[in-house]
Amino acid sequence: MSDAAFLDLAGMTLGYDGKAAVESLDLAIKEGELVALLGPSGCGKTTTMRAIAGLLQPMGGRITLGGRDITSLPANRRNIGLVFQSYALFPHLSVFENVAFGLRRQRTPKDELERRVAGAVAMVGLTGFERRLPKELSGGQQQRVALARAVVVRPRLLLLDEPLSNLDARLRLEMRTELRRLQRELGITMVYVTHDQEEALALADRIVVMRDGKIEQMGPPEAIYETPATDFVARFVGFENVFEVRDGQLRAGNGAALPLQAPVDGDTAWLAWRPHAVELGQGPYEGRVRGTSYLGQSVEYLIESALGPIKAEAPAALPRHEAGRTVAFGLPPAAAAAITR
Amino acid sequence: MSSRMGGLMLALVFLFLIGPFLIIIAAGMSAGETLAFPPQGLSLRWFWAVFEVESFRASFVLSIVLAVGATLLALVLGVPVAYALARYPLPGGEAMRTLLTSPVIVPAIIVGLALLRYVVIPLDLGIVPALFVAHTALLVPYAVRVVSASLANLRSDIEEAAVLLGANRVQAFFLTVLPNIRNGILAAFILGFVTSFNQVPVSLFLTGPGVSTLPIQMLWYMEFTYDPSIAALSALLALMSMAIVLLAERFLGLSRYV
Amino acid sequence: MFTSRTTGLMLVLPAVVFIAVGFLAPVLILLAQSLRLEDGWGIGNYLAFMNDGLGREVFWRTIKLAALVTLAAAVIGYVAAWAIVETRPERRGVLVGMVILPLMISPVARTYAWLVILGRTGFLNVLITNLGLSEEPLRLLFTETAVFIGLLQLFLPLMIISLVSALENLPRDVVPAAQTLGAGWIATFFKVILPLTREGLVIGGTLVFTGSVTAYITPAVLGGSKVLMLETLLYQRVSVANDFASASVIAAILMVTTLAANRLLRRLATPRRR
Repeated sequence: MSDAAFLDLAGMTLGYDGKAAVESLDLAIKEGELVALLGPSGCGKTTTMRAIAGLLQPMGGRITLGGRDITSLPANRRNIGLVFQSYALFPHLSVFENVAFGLRRQRTPKDELERRVAGAVAMVGLTGFERRLPKELSGGQQQRVALARAVVVRPRLLLLDEPLSNLDARLRLEMRTELRRLQRELGITMVYVTHDQEEALALADRIVVMRDGKIEQMGPPEAIYETPATDFVARFVGFENVFEVRDGQLRAGNGAALPLQAPVDGDTAWLAWRPHAVELGQGPYEGRVRGTSYLGQSVEYLIESALGPIKAEAPAALPRHEAGRTVAFGLPPAAAAAITR
Repeated sequence: MSSRMGGLMLALVFLFLIGPFLIIIAAGMSAGETLAFPPQGLSLRWFWAVFEVESFRASFVLSIVLAVGATLLALVLGVPVAYALARYPLPGGEAMRTLLTSPVIVPAIIVGLALLRYVVIPLDLGIVPALFVAHTALLVPYAVRVVSASLANLRSDIEEAAVLLGANRVQAFFLTVLPNIRNGILAAFILGFVTSFNQVPVSLFLTGPGVSTLPIQMLWYMEFTYDPSIAALSALLALMSMAIVLLAERFLGLSRYV
Repeated sequence: MFTSRTTGLMLVLPAVVFIAVGFLAPVLILLAQSLRLEDGWGIGNYLAFMNDGLGREVFWRTIKLAALVTLAAAVIGYVAAWAIVETRPERRGVLVGMVILPLMISPVARTYAWLVILGRTGFLNVLITNLGLSEEPLRLLFTETAVFIGLLQLFLPLMIISLVSALENLPRDVVPAAQTLGAGWIATFFKVILPLTREGLVIGGTLVFTGSVTAYITPAVLGGSKVLMLETLLYQRVSVANDFASASVIAAILMVTTLAANRLLRRLATPRRR
């Protein structure tokens, strides 16, 4: 595994004040790959990223970058770039000096420095803004400066900590495309931390889903989206209806159970349905419509059933089921993602 | 309360707070030999006279040197404390905080007396070093408080960004933190200077023949002489303070730190 | 590396050592000396001080004057601070600056002004004799009133500033809300404004009270030996009588009084739940 690994985390245990937030984590990342660390807040993704950057000393384990053990290398000698969630621009320095900061630390000759800063500023589309101070820029522009500042030193690895979370929805989509383009152009290895599954699916070559300091599942976006490995991942990527399978029955968290609609493989532990996979108006189960929301193309229904709340979605063109009515529904195993033991 | 009545009240309050200064300035401009208001004739002679008094000149120089030196040392000691408070878990917690702020709580006159009795006399130390120590100790909490206020707006991730771009911890502080708290440090310097320059109780016991700060010298002088020179000197000091404060407010927004 | 305890310790150590050795140690020794008797230790010095009529008189005068100054500053402070907060924001800055300005001016100069005003040939006496209100100039100086006025002028700005920031943080529209609910000005003040600005009042009150208790210049200049307060008495005991035992007792009393005032007032600042 470590033959191909560019960044290799082996048995990493991380924490603050002796309390472990991440336990014995193994992760290998190939050169040029864009890997997203995805998970809810507190799952350890940011802690992991800080350890890679060298801002947090691991309690145990080893970090290798390009075949060299960097576990105890100080952060300022790792040559790893980081784009902060808050951008962390130097408020007293102009755009030019912010971007030039790393090059000045390397004592880059003047003409080369000017050329590279100009190049980086142009790359993020901010030519002409060099003399502005950070507070004179919009959020999106500050984000671009942070990116230019991180890549101008040609880091071996670029870390991004929720870089788009402070932008509005439209700008976020735009920057997402931009980031992908930059990553292709520069061929740089990136580790991207986010809690937004849509962002991770759109950007990453590979997604690492984390929970409580452990890796829950790791794989290409399609695999994560279509075949979640655990019920947690299933819920996280939008399977709203996840039930345990035992003794030929579907079991809800509240202890209620209903017989399966059709037989499943013996090693199936969980079945998970996205809202549109729930059959509505027919099927062996019954529930009461608690509420509906019109989504344009489709209508989402919240149904109160013996298994607890069920979320279903049906094309808007079909006849509506009014709130308060009893409706039949089905959970066909063939339309579900099966999670095996 | 109507706003007109509020304005009237405010005018009375300001008359009480600021009016006396106008009276001193007028009294200092008296041509007569004794202090009186209204002044007996107008003249600037007492304003020039104070510069002729050797004890005023010497104590003025000592006060300035003391204020500058003590404030600088207080900043050298206090800025790292403010930085540590903002960035690190404080070792010793509440006890440490109490110790660091104790100079504000202890009545200043006690400090002067204690230093005289248990440091100056037993160690045969000069008075000036003792004054220097006492003033510095008094100013450290102010320096910490004012610098802390400007550090509070500064996120710690800019230092992390600097480190990841190749700076070591010391460079990161000097290149990213210091330039951004410069105004706070200047404000702390001005407040410290003014506090030390005007300080009386600490210096009360730490003065002796030929060694005295200006405010103490003024207190002595007014006990024995009743001429307008103290009025003139007070007016000059008031004008000096006003100039400093106005400049500082203009460029630093000093009132944010008081 | 960014949360290391040792780095934090290294940064505070110089200041801690400086203050501990150059400041706290001598002060603690002085305070301990107040318990030192010719034959061992005890509270004999304190009993002597309190049994001495002058000591007791000066102690109570100091507390009384400080309390009166604090009370007057609170009343005037609320009126002034309210008037300042009511003005437009751009004028407010100037007004706050005018309140702060006197604080930056030498207290010796500020106190001396009252000498000019209250002295035998001063402004007020000239006014009084010229208006024929009195044949002889009145003795205004070296009275408790003179000291009270001097202290109030010295410390009033601290109260105003505390109350201005407290009133600025008053939730918007609570005052109009109270009035639409039928509260008059007095009810509005005691039921709404006072509880919501209690912390600012206590901060200002602590500054004014402890400042007045530990004042030296004002009682020295405006009170003289007729109106002694604790600090002027302490100075007299040392420089005139060379009596260090009673000086250390006064020092300890000053220390305890300021600490107690701080404690007591801070407790008042934390609102009780009803």
